[in-house]
Parts: sequence; C-alpha cells; structure tokens
Amino acid sequence: MSAAQDQADVAKVLGGDLAAFEGIVKRWQGPLVNLAYRFGRDRGRAEEMAQEALLRAYRRLDRWRGEAAFSTWLFALATNLYCSELRRIPARTVALDQVAEPREPRRTDAAFEEAERESLVRNAVLALPAKYRETVILFYFHDMDIAAAAQSLGLPEGTVKARLFRGREILRSKLAGRLAAPLERKEA
Amino acid sequence: MADDDLDRILAEEQEIVPSAGFVRSVMKAVEREAATPSAIPFPWKWALPGMAGDILALGWAFVLAVQLLHGSMGVQAGPVATPPVITKLVESVRMTGAGWIALSLVLSLASVKLSSRLAA
Repeated sequence: MSAAQDQADVAKVLGGDLAAFEGIVKRWQGPLVNLAYRFGRDRGRAEEMAQEALLRAYRRLDRWRGEAAFSTWLFALATNLYCSELRRIPARTVALDQVAEPREPRRTDAAFEEAERESLVRNAVLALPAKYRETVILFYFHDMDIAAAAQSLGLPEGTVKARLFRGREILRSKLAGRLAAPLERKEA
Repeated sequence: MADDDLDRILAEEQEIVPSAGFVRSVMKAVEREAATPSAIPFPWKWALPGMAGDILALGWAFVLAVQLLHGSMGVQAGPVATPPVITKLVESVRMTGAGWIALSLVLSLASVKLSSRLAA
C-alpha cells in the first residue's frame, strides 16, 4: 500500500475529483472486507460493513489531517463502525458448549480434525465478551502488532495488552477440555 | 491449549476476496452521496434573538403564574418593584398569548435537536 498514493488521492477527492476515490477503494477493499469478515464470519455482511466504512471515510475525508498514516485513520474509523454495528446487531454465534462433538473421534482424519479445531477456536473468539473479542480480532488482523491494534481501537497499548491477556485466558480455559484430546491422540 | 497453538490458528486466517462488483457498488454509493445536497444548517443567527425574547417572556409568564397562585391562596405578596417597561411588556405578553408561542417554540427546538441527534 502506498501512503503517497493515498495522500495524492485524498487531495484530489478534496479538490473535487470524485473519481480519485476509486483508487482508495481499490487499495483498501481487501483489508476492510477481511477485517469485517473476522468480526462476524458473514461474507455478505462483511461487504456491507466495508462499504459503509468506505462511505463514512469519504464523508469525513477532510478530517484526516495527515498526522497519522491514512491506513491508521481508515482502520480506526472502520473498527469503530464494525464494533458498533456488531454491538447493535450481534453476529450469529454458536455457544461453545453447543458445538457437536464427532461421534467417533478416532475415525476422523487429521485434516478434518484440524479444520474442526480451527472452527472451534474461531467460534470461541466470536463468543468472547465484546471488549476481548475486538482486541483479539484486531491483534491478529494486524499480524500480532499491539501498537497497530491499539491505534485501530483508539485505546492505550497497556489496555490492549491487558484485554489480550484476559481474552486469551478465557479462550484457553474454554478450549482446554475440547482441544486437549486431539493433541494427545496425535502425540500417542 | 498453548498460546503458540492459539497464535498459529488465529494468525493463519484465510483471506477472502471482495466480490467483483464491490468497487462499483461503493463508487455508486459515493456518487449518490456527493449528489445529495448538504443539509441546510439551522439559522442560529436569526433564531437566537427571537429565542432569547421567548425565554424572557416564558420566565415572566412563570413569575406571573406564581404570583397569581400566591394571590389565590390568600398569601399577602410583598410589593414587587417592577419597572413600568417590564410591566407593559408582561401585559402585552399576556394579551397576545406570547407565552404559549414561546413555549411551543421551545418545544419545537427541543424536538428538532432530539431528531437531529437521533439521525446522527
């Protein structure tokens, strides 16, 4: 992603060249849709939320002063929108206790087992209380960069670290019983 | 479950690709937005003097109401040193029903503020 390109396109849009906004949409559509998808695991809703985030960015483009990178400003705006959208209409999640166990675990192959583990972990993340869920999602979205996650959430790094620690603790305790068995079978 | 295991699963997220018409759809929404005329701002400059007068009239109407209430309850009200200009103003407010107009204006303003806050 080119910061210079973003800056040039923003200047053009503010100068009245609406078509220049297309460059911004093309550069940021992927990250914004993917971030929204991690919040709800619903592709259609992810695109709707990303579209709303880009529209909001267009409306508030004159508020970006260039003090932070355009990407930082855009992710903070999108994160704020996604969090409030999902607090308003929560994503459909299945409680961890309701995820069906395979009837004969020993017969499942390794790939299926791995896919099931991943699904369990992702469901558990979505079932976390909002403040931990948002922190965990942003931390992994930003390639485990606490500073970037803190900027997107508009929180101090210390708060993000504390929420991440607590979020992981909840995940570990919820998943311990369910994920220990497959690991042990593999090792045996 | 180890942190490494969690990190591995959550960091290895499969990327999704936005649908083919996504950019077009966003640009259409942006063009619609740009074509929509901006909302007419509330004319505070013109409304403030009138509102100040209304609030004053409302205050006097309240004072009068309290005095009337005291009078009807047989309480001897002390002499109130009201300047003649104010007395005339209060009288004209009573005659024209400006107190009610002021009240309705204040209620209208409150509803405008509430609806714009809800719309935001």
